[in-house]
Amino acid sequence: MWKKDSSEGSDRFEYLQTLVTEFQDTDSEEAKEQVLANLANFAYDPNNMENLRELQVPDLFLDMLTEDNANFVEFGMGGLCNLSMDPECRDVILQSNGISLVTNCLSNQREETVLSAITTLMNLTTPSSRAEITDPAILQCMLRFSLSESPRLRSLAAVFLQDGCSQEQVARAEQQMQGQQTAVGIPLPKDD
Amino acid sequence: MAAPRNNNSSCWGVPDVYKHHEQKKICISRPKYRDGRRDRAVKVYTINLESNYLMIQGVPAIGVMTELIQLCALYGAVEEYRPLDEYPAEEFTEVYLVKFQKLTSARAAKRRMDEKSFYGGLLHVCYVPEYETVEDTRLKLQDRRRYIIRAVRNKAREKEQKEAVNEKPTSSEKATTSETVIARYEKTVVPDNTGNSSNICHYSGFPLLPFPPQEYHYYRHGNPHWTIPTEDKMGTLHNAIIDTKRLEPQSSSSYQASLDKDRGTEQRLTLNQAPAAVRFVPRTTHLENRKRRMEEAADHSLTDVTINNEPLIGPKLPEPPKLDMEDVSLNTTANLIRNTLKKVESVPDLKPVEKKVKPRRRI
Repeated sequence: MWKKDSSEGSDRFEYLQTLVTEFQDTDSEEAKEQVLANLANFAYDPNNMENLRELQVPDLFLDMLTEDNANFVEFGMGGLCNLSMDPECRDVILQSNGISLVTNCLSNQREETVLSAITTLMNLTTPSSRAEITDPAILQCMLRFSLSESPRLRSLAAVFLQDGCSQEQVARAEQQMQGQQTAVGIPLPKDD
Repeated sequence: MAAPRNNNSSCWGVPDVYKHHEQKKICISRPKYRDGRRDRAVKVYTINLESNYLMIQGVPAIGVMTELIQLCALYGAVEEYRPLDEYPAEEFTEVYLVKFQKLTSARAAKRRMDEKSFYGGLLHVCYVPEYETVEDTRLKLQDRRRYIIRAVRNKAREKEQKEAVNEKPTSSEKATTSETVIARYEKTVVPDNTGNSSNICHYSGFPLLPFPPQEYHYYRHGNPHWTIPTEDKMGTLHNAIIDTKRLEPQSSSSYQASLDKDRGTEQRLTLNQAPAAVRFVPRTTHLENRKRRMEEAADHSLTDVTINNEPLIGPKLPEPPKLDMEDVSLNTTANLIRNTLKKVESVPDLKPVEKKVKPRRRI
């Protein structure tokens, strides 16, 4: 499938570019989903991250987070989860208001989307973004998740809380939660 | 789908059937340019979906657990395993949980064993991250992050090295690439200009990417060029792409190219002479190609190919009729090449010609 008559670097770039072009040009929702999933999977490989960055795919993924199509959101969020491991992609995402968009995905109905969002928030944590990411609202959300029936959600939320913030912050968030109904607020995702 | 029934986070508790265990239907509507060799479902893999815990379904219930674990162990150390008797299984089959020491082993095992026949049954292998402890998950994320940072840093370093080496870009190459229409993703909202000035440059051509390196050409005769598949790839397309970082001159080649002032001319030489660029070619073909190329090189006059200078030991064979190229240095070079050719021809091919090329994975 790769063109084999030019150098690897530009082959790869051109192929990814073709995917982006198809995504923008096609009217077929199904084709868009396939291409989006392709791009998100390619984002898993560090060899592709620079190319994807140049093609502005982080922005593409961020745009998907506000779509109605749940697959678009899930795949876009997955792509961001993969890309955000790269420090440069992380910075691009932060500059494009990524924290707020990703935080909104914490209330998504699909568990996969929520898991990707939690991991992405962890990846986006830098000394300058830490304050925003450990906002009490987010911490409370994570506390609720850590009581979830889903083992994956529990574990990830626990890692977030243990690694992302201090004990005092967690304690403060817990106290604030005492005053609220624990069931109200960000709903736990359904595993459907 | 079954809702999670228990709060037991131990991996040895009663298993729940989760959606991500299911095999999704394969996608049949992909256009050819992005249709891989294997049929795949539309699914996105993230680090959350992967795990060093695998579940293997479809194992024939004929007492082959040991054989199964031995098969798994081919891909890496297995820490723990047990049958999952409580998990819904098809009649006459068993389900096993296997914990690998490393995620990369689990990934390789999944890739190689999923959908494969095993003692008459068809295995279905999937990740089961729900069996991870909090510590497992944390380590998994940490390892992944470290790997990415290291890989990205290595890539940046290679790029710098290539750019330092590749100081003579051919202008023809640049011309062709700049004709390509750049279709980068356009945001629906026009971004403000902070830090986004690069957007504008991109739309006008192809100027900002590093020039694709060409120096691999003069190493082609030395090296097998396919990427050594590393465990952490998910079978993406790049497995079929030549890994240009493996282009350092190897002494395994009997034809040593020296990296010195000849580099520039050598590059020019091989660009003229080289067949189609880097492609996925098995090792034996490389040996044959190299031989052929050296024979060609001996026929056409070459100015700057450097050969090893080892003297011939032993009785000289009757020499083939020599071609006088009417130039002392050319003749010297041709003689050296001829000598080396003799050496190369005397080395038997160690590998069998028929080598099964594994199909490369696509997403």
